[in-house]
Amino acid sequence: MIEVRNLTKRYGDTTAVDGLSFTVQPGLVTGFLGPNGAGKSTTMRMVLGLDRPTGGEALVNGKRYQDLDHPLRHVGSLLDPAAVHHGRRALDHLRWIAASNGIDRKRATELLEQVGLGGVRHKRIKALSLGMKQRLGVAAALLGDPEVLMFDEPVNGLDPEGVRWIRDLMRGLAKEGRTVFVSSHLMSEMALTADHVVIVARGQLVKETPMEALTQNGSLEDAYLELTSGRGL
Amino acid sequence: MKNALAAEWLKLRTVRAPYGLIAAIGVMIAFGATISWLMVRDYDTSSAAEQMKFGSADASVVITPVVQFCVAALGALVATSDPRLGALTAVPDRKRLLAAKSALVATTAVVIGAVALTLSIGTSWLIMGDRPPPVAPWDSLGDVLPWAGAAVLSILVTGLTGLGLGLALRSTAVTIVVVGVLLWGLPAVTPMLPSPWNMDASGVMVPYLVWEVAGVVNDPPLGPLAAVACLFIYVVVTLGAGTVTLLRRDA
Repeated sequence: MIEVRNLTKRYGDTTAVDGLSFTVQPGLVTGFLGPNGAGKSTTMRMVLGLDRPTGGEALVNGKRYQDLDHPLRHVGSLLDPAAVHHGRRALDHLRWIAASNGIDRKRATELLEQVGLGGVRHKRIKALSLGMKQRLGVAAALLGDPEVLMFDEPVNGLDPEGVRWIRDLMRGLAKEGRTVFVSSHLMSEMALTADHVVIVARGQLVKETPMEALTQNGSLEDAYLELTSGRGL
Repeated sequence: MKNALAAEWLKLRTVRAPYGLIAAIGVMIAFGATISWLMVRDYDTSSAAEQMKFGSADASVVITPVVQFCVAALGALVATSDPRLGALTAVPDRKRLLAAKSALVATTAVVIGAVALTLSIGTSWLIMGDRPPPVAPWDSLGDVLPWAGAAVLSILVTGLTGLGLGLALRSTAVTIVVVGVLLWGLPAVTPMLPSPWNMDASGVMVPYLVWEVAGVVNDPPLGPLAAVACLFIYVVVTLGAGTVTLLRRDA
């Protein structure tokens, strides 16, 4: 479970996240929606301890991410598939991540097979396509077999096959009882994937609701635009 | 800590850059040995009067600055080559990450320095044979130990300095430029300062500190212990700046 309590992040005079509070429950895919600059990525970065909150806190299973022992065994994340050393081979990339959290190195090979990259495991990451890099990022997120998974725009740049693969993966992970938190701009995709949604605009919570409640009178896109109209940048 | 260190070691040995730096050191050792051999050959065919004007044929003196630079670049790579997002997601305890990176750089620097100095001094020793000073600067291998120890210490210091600057500046290119200025730029300029500032400033430059630590210069601005302390200050200042940046700034 992810608990965000009164989370705030300011950069000088700019408030990126403004007193945000919500909970991401296990067993569901929770979509994190909002216009560009709404604070979605900043919120995810604060949950992962990458950025320091100005106020409030973000907890994963009751603890700050940076206080978790072997954090990758609790939380898997894919925020930016390009944030890797492109000169390293795919298998070596997963192996160092596994080593950092005391995860059996065999998991790296198994996961590359699982995400369909077994044939390119000895290729350098710069030689992989965008879709392959996304899959590698997903493999890295799954290395520690975590209960909580966070994905930031995971279908960006993917072909239809890749989009369906990610969707089925997230649905499957939630079905196993894991907490799946995913941000996206793609309303149609979110409508197919998410069970629950958290909508933010200008760093503030606009709506936290089950998907069904939001779409009972129309499409997710219509509901989203109605809720966020005039709240963009 | 053990896991973080294992991950840093794996990261270092699974990219090409460190091998390039080691290869550069290897090429310089071979080049230095060639220069030593040419000097000795020239020495053997010179008159006794000319032989007395020869400098030392010890190649380790010219190899050491190259090893210092390469190891500092290695430190910078350990700090900057992998995006922080991945490193800090895997090891979010920043103090532990810093300790792992520092231990890796320190160990690698000492091993590379010791191997490079041993090879360079060993080949020079073989090439110089039983020739007398000044072309052969040492009477026994024991004479070379203070210099070799000081050189390895300076290589350790430059490695940690590269790491600290890399963490503080967050850019490999900028860090390598600053390292170049510290190791080669400033030491080239300080002798041009008016006296006595020229000696005082030169005395705290890394290339000169190696000689001071070894105690092989006449009337140095700093004694060996003060020179060791000065090298230590380089590490404290740069690694301190890197620590503050890593601990306080967002990834």
